[in-house]
Amino acid sequence: MSTATSTPTGTGSDPGRRQAAHKNGHGSKLGRAQQRWLPWAFLAPTIAGMGIFTLLPIVASIALAFFRWDIISAPTFVGFDNFAEVVQDPTVRVSFLNTIVFVVVAVALQLGLALGLAIMVQEKLPAWLRVFFRSAFFFPLILSAASVSIFMRYLFNEQFGVVNWMLSIVGIPAVPWLTTPGGSAAVVILVYVWQNFGFSFLLFIGGLASIPVETYEAASIDGATGWRKHWFVTLPLLSPTTLVASVMAIINALQVFDQPYVLTRGGPGDSTRTAVMVIFESAFQRLEFGQASAIGVILTLIIMAITAAQFRLSKRFVFYQ
Amino acid sequence: MSGTNGALRQFTRRSALTALGAGIVGVTAASWPRLTGTDIPGRGDNSLSIAIMGTAADAAARQKVIDAFAKVHPEIKVKVQAIQAVDWKDFFTKILTMVAAGTPPDVVYVATEGAQLFAEKLAHPLDEYLRRDAADMKEYFEDVHPSLVEAFMYKGSLFQLPIDWNAANMYYNTASLRSAGLERPADDWTHTDFRSTLAAMKKANPKDFTPYYWTNRLFGGVVPWLYANETSFLKETKSPGGEWLWDSFYANDPSRSLRSGGYQWLEPNADDPRVFESFDYLRGLVKDGLGVRPEEGGGSALIGLFASNRIGTTPAGGYWVQGLHEAGMTEDGFDVQFFPKWRTQRHQFGTAGYAIMKTAKDKDAAWEWVKFSSSLEAMQIVFPTPNTTPARRSMVNEQLYAGTGPRNWKVFYDTLDRFPTTGPIPAPPQQAAVETALMKNVSLAVSGDERQLKDALNSMQRDLELALRRQP
Repeated sequence: MSTATSTPTGTGSDPGRRQAAHKNGHGSKLGRAQQRWLPWAFLAPTIAGMGIFTLLPIVASIALAFFRWDIISAPTFVGFDNFAEVVQDPTVRVSFLNTIVFVVVAVALQLGLALGLAIMVQEKLPAWLRVFFRSAFFFPLILSAASVSIFMRYLFNEQFGVVNWMLSIVGIPAVPWLTTPGGSAAVVILVYVWQNFGFSFLLFIGGLASIPVETYEAASIDGATGWRKHWFVTLPLLSPTTLVASVMAIINALQVFDQPYVLTRGGPGDSTRTAVMVIFESAFQRLEFGQASAIGVILTLIIMAITAAQFRLSKRFVFYQ
Repeated sequence: MSGTNGALRQFTRRSALTALGAGIVGVTAASWPRLTGTDIPGRGDNSLSIAIMGTAADAAARQKVIDAFAKVHPEIKVKVQAIQAVDWKDFFTKILTMVAAGTPPDVVYVATEGAQLFAEKLAHPLDEYLRRDAADMKEYFEDVHPSLVEAFMYKGSLFQLPIDWNAANMYYNTASLRSAGLERPADDWTHTDFRSTLAAMKKANPKDFTPYYWTNRLFGGVVPWLYANETSFLKETKSPGGEWLWDSFYANDPSRSLRSGGYQWLEPNADDPRVFESFDYLRGLVKDGLGVRPEEGGGSALIGLFASNRIGTTPAGGYWVQGLHEAGMTEDGFDVQFFPKWRTQRHQFGTAGYAIMKTAKDKDAAWEWVKFSSSLEAMQIVFPTPNTTPARRSMVNEQLYAGTGPRNWKVFYDTLDRFPTTGPIPAPPQQAAVETALMKNVSLAVSGDERQLKDALNSMQRDLELALRRQP
């Protein structure tokens, strides 16, 4: 009787398997239910975690953007007032502009430096040195941004910093690094790029390793050497890696906070104040959590728009083998 | 065979899952107090929970006071919770977060920077307790200058008893001063005398020497210069009220007529010509290399630089003495003088004391702690070294400064006695936003030309308007 079955299609209908499954209890009603729910049961903790710690705060933050709330008193619904106030606030406008300038400069430097060093390390150095440089370039990334920035504050101190002392040896007068708009922006970008380019560097190293040697050999036979080889072979074949690296670098740079906050507190003036810093100040200094949420919503929309644009443009510029 | 392997595999998988489950349950159970926050001092029992800014070591250092308190009030259990923070602003944010989480402490040590924020939203007034225990408190008020007490008055009520305080006096390196051929500055030296002193110091000292070092912050930054020039970046007014306190405890004080129901800072004042004048003076010091462009931050690095004779002068309070001593400076290596005079010689000060939270479980017990902490016995335990200035005049004595200096330690309390209009840090309930508005514009104001200075002050005025737009 057990074999007197019809011959339904599908892998699950194999009589032998069904028999075995029955032995193990999987063929029963309960077993089928288990099969259906078991994956969800395993996924449940992750889904719950994401729901509680990711989705709920996002939804709460969006909702909070429509309220006035100072943590202590009860929230008051104010509609779009927070958005209107944020848009009119010159500090918020400047901070977003600063963030965009920062992203353009820092990401360009970060990717350029990472790509250049990755090509150099991959091509010119023996294996043991490659390992050394991979570690050395990645090392700053694992350090705390706050502690690095505190250290850099001392290095770039106008009167007593090591950087100006070194410059003085070659006769260059003391540079007011952290107390002028240009100087402080330069230091913030420098420290940020130094700390973050290691990640892009590793991505590029991986990308370079995946380019077939034959492609370079073919290019060489066709007469491509030096820069032409990189221009016509390396860069196009590395474009998927470049897309990933740039998306991640831009998203990270748009959220920059630690370095400017510790190095300059956003100053002098608003010269190094970033969008996330304004969110922090609105929420935890002015106790205007609604406004902070409104700024956060705007920043999220900007990040989403930029990322979407990158992926759309990638159809034209990214070359998949 | 396969059945055996399958059973074995099933067994091990089940065992592993069981062990994992048991492990998770065990770890969760073991860390339950941490997960629920019941291991936080004072939580989950009837202890009085006291929050202070500092480290676990600071909390442990208060144990002697807790022990002394336990002898007087064995029925009140006290637990001190130290909260690490970069500055007072950061500390208050963390307290607010605890309030929002529904786990506020019962008592919080609050400095002037947060006094009005707490008074407006979080703290319980001490008025009823002071009236009740007036006889006990008489001795305290006789020993504490009314200026300090007035700093904790808000809309006619008193919210804290000053425990320690610091005025922005001017420290100077005695060796640098001597090498410039100068003697100790006169008590009534002026801002022009100060500039001449800096110029002489610069001339006489090596290249990597800075005559005037100052940091960009609310205490000791630009504000003391504004106060000396009889102005401020906020319009300073006073609330009516408070007679109940002044008439009870300071009726015969010579400065009784000056006292009020507390300070109020309701409007910006950055467009005052005297503010421009004060900033322009500092801009001149920076331009001529007599003073640094101010950076934001505290004075920890500054102590090392001052102790290594690389800084000539800097504004700071009595809290600096122990730091300089520990950095290796001898009694003769440094000294202190009043802040230079301009239109007035009004100084800036900051003070701190315990505030009872509105949400305190047992306010009467909290008051007993506040009262005990203000006693001579408790304060002598807390301040064995000059790492701040005790609020009690009687404690600011030769004994406290013996072995550390400075020679002219009397300057500290004389600042209040000689200049009774000396005022607190301008700190309305919106202090954090006000501080940001000030600091973000100071660097620009003193680091460029006159045009840049005017732009920075206009920007400051606008930022302050935004910061103060919502009055409580």
